Amino acid sequence: MTSYFDPERYPTLSDEGAEMLRYLTEHPNAPIYRDESGNRLTAADLDELKALERKLTTENIDWAVSQHPSWLEQFLEYVYREVPYYRAQGTAPAFRHIQSISRAHLSADIAAFVPDDIPIERMINFRTTGTSGNPLLLASHPRVAATYLLFHQRALRRFGVELEVGANHVGVVLVGHQTRCFTYVSVTPMLGESGLAKINLHPNDWRHPDDRTIYLDALNPEVYTGDPLTFNELKKLPLTTRPKALISVGMMMSAGMRADLEAHFNAPVLDIYSLNEAGPIAVFDNELDGHLLLQTHLYVEILDSQGNTVEPGIRGEITLSGGFNFCLPLVRYRTGDYAALVDSPEGPVLKELSGRAPVRYQLENGEWINNIDVTHALRPIPLAQFGLHQNKDKSLVLYLAPSSMTHHQRCLEALKHVFGNLVINVKQIEKEDKILQYTSDLIEGFIQ
Amino acid sequence: MKKIGPQLQTLTSRLANTPVDFLDEPRIGSVGRLVVAALVNDAFKKYGHQLSIDELRLFEGVDQATDRNRLKLVSLAVWLLNDAWFAQVDLQSSELLTFLNASITQLAESTKANKCVEDSDRREEFARYFLARLDYRPEGESEAQAKDRLSALSSTERQRLLDESRDAEKRAREIRQALARKAAEQSADKWTRE
Repeated sequence: MTSYFDPERYPTLSDEGAEMLRYLTEHPNAPIYRDESGNRLTAADLDELKALERKLTTENIDWAVSQHPSWLEQFLEYVYREVPYYRAQGTAPAFRHIQSISRAHLSADIAAFVPDDIPIERMINFRTTGTSGNPLLLASHPRVAATYLLFHQRALRRFGVELEVGANHVGVVLVGHQTRCFTYVSVTPMLGESGLAKINLHPNDWRHPDDRTIYLDALNPEVYTGDPLTFNELKKLPLTTRPKALISVGMMMSAGMRADLEAHFNAPVLDIYSLNEAGPIAVFDNELDGHLLLQTHLYVEILDSQGNTVEPGIRGEITLSGGFNFCLPLVRYRTGDYAALVDSPEGPVLKELSGRAPVRYQLENGEWINNIDVTHALRPIPLAQFGLHQNKDKSLVLYLAPSSMTHHQRCLEALKHVFGNLVINVKQIEKEDKILQYTSDLIEGFIQ
Repeated sequence: MKKIGPQLQTLTSRLANTPVDFLDEPRIGSVGRLVVAALVNDAFKKYGHQLSIDELRLFEGVDQATDRNRLKLVSLAVWLLNDAWFAQVDLQSSELLTFLNASITQLAESTKANKCVEDSDRREEFARYFLARLDYRPEGESEAQAKDRLSALSSTERQRLLDESRDAEKRAREIRQALARKAAEQSADKWTRE
């Protein structure tokens, strides 16, 4: 029992919380947990999070599509004073004249975007999966990671879902389905140490494939989180328990798939637009026919290719300022995702959001693999940008940025581990713009 | 620097003991309490000068980012002008206005007002800058000595910027190292992973 007490990973762990960790780990049908994480939240962190939670219950977004938020001026004053990248530029110009930045800026030197008044000691990182090109290592903090929950709860309440408090139940299971997946157990102190498990549905991570169903039914989590591809796998398990909700992030969710999942699980499926750079940004709302913004201190603009704000309702690149990651305050950060922005009685709404579509690829033996497996296979290689396309005959085309062409041999070797003997041709990306990273000519490659 | 001013120690001590009223946040828009234009107006009146409304507006901030530090430095300069020693001298309206406006604006580009109170080197820098721009030198120093010392302080200023640059590089390196370390430690829990 005492082995679960780890003051770094679980600074406030109670006996009940430790019992939850033991249950999740030592259950006879538990998967092979390969990694460790932890909430890393101190008592002082929890006090601050409680205060933020109270604030968020009464606070609403105070800006509209053509009206800046009240906090923007003070935020910019802070950023131009404390953030090296902006301080080097001197005085802040009028907001509309501030040059936007992109992932490439953060990739080039993340340290330049971390405010000087943020202590380094407890800094953590969020590593992106690189689904849109440049792999990113983002500065963050345990309190930032925990703040995600507050916005998930805000979204869940819209669907009438309230989370329970206590270490006698499992709050969430994060579901993955990859040949290699980061897995661990933890507890959520803000919910009285309810259980948290990040699992991989791939049979490689289980002693017996049937254990998946037995274990998940035993855990009976309130919420499953994942992406459309993993939920598609989860749906195949003959589970007898049902969650209160599913939260989908990281990939586009089609209306058809959402309806299918909601019918199967008899629970709402929340399609949340979320980025490592900014956390949960918006949740899809059927009645609003778009993604309703969730964060009160995140200003969203839609910019055209020249960096100008477009008219309300016109599609353009989603661009962010502010955010709750105090280690990485964003100023006109171009996300690479596209939508239109309109006002609604409930706040600004992103319409026709698009950016990342889920794709799966077929192997020689007919088996399907997730595009995240490709991301992971290529992750060790320093690629500026890449894309992968599957032809009707299953052969593949790997697209590489000109600066990444020197790595093409390493890429082919890495992909050989994933695709075996399938033919892979390499081509150079001609345009500098973001590309559709994963594409396929096989209709079954797209989950509808 | 042709004129002999007070002892340097008088001014640096005065800076170190700046009353909180003078350290208050300058009023810029609806933020801050200290009305710097009123301080300036009072200082000019002591010398029998009257500033126009337009001249006084030079000391009303409109933008936190550009005006806050400048106005804080102006209030420090007025605090030094209030020293008894300056009651005996005759300062012309134009030179006083040039000093409080143009010279302080120039200084504000590289010097933080708070450091002119808290840091001994910056106190000396500010006191010497203050005297030199009003054409004084510290009592007990020759003009050459005062110029040398001011030149040295200019070097000090350059050195400070270099040091700051080195500090910034060090911090950036530490951030990158910290993130690399934490990558191995696998971060912290989130309810979703993008």
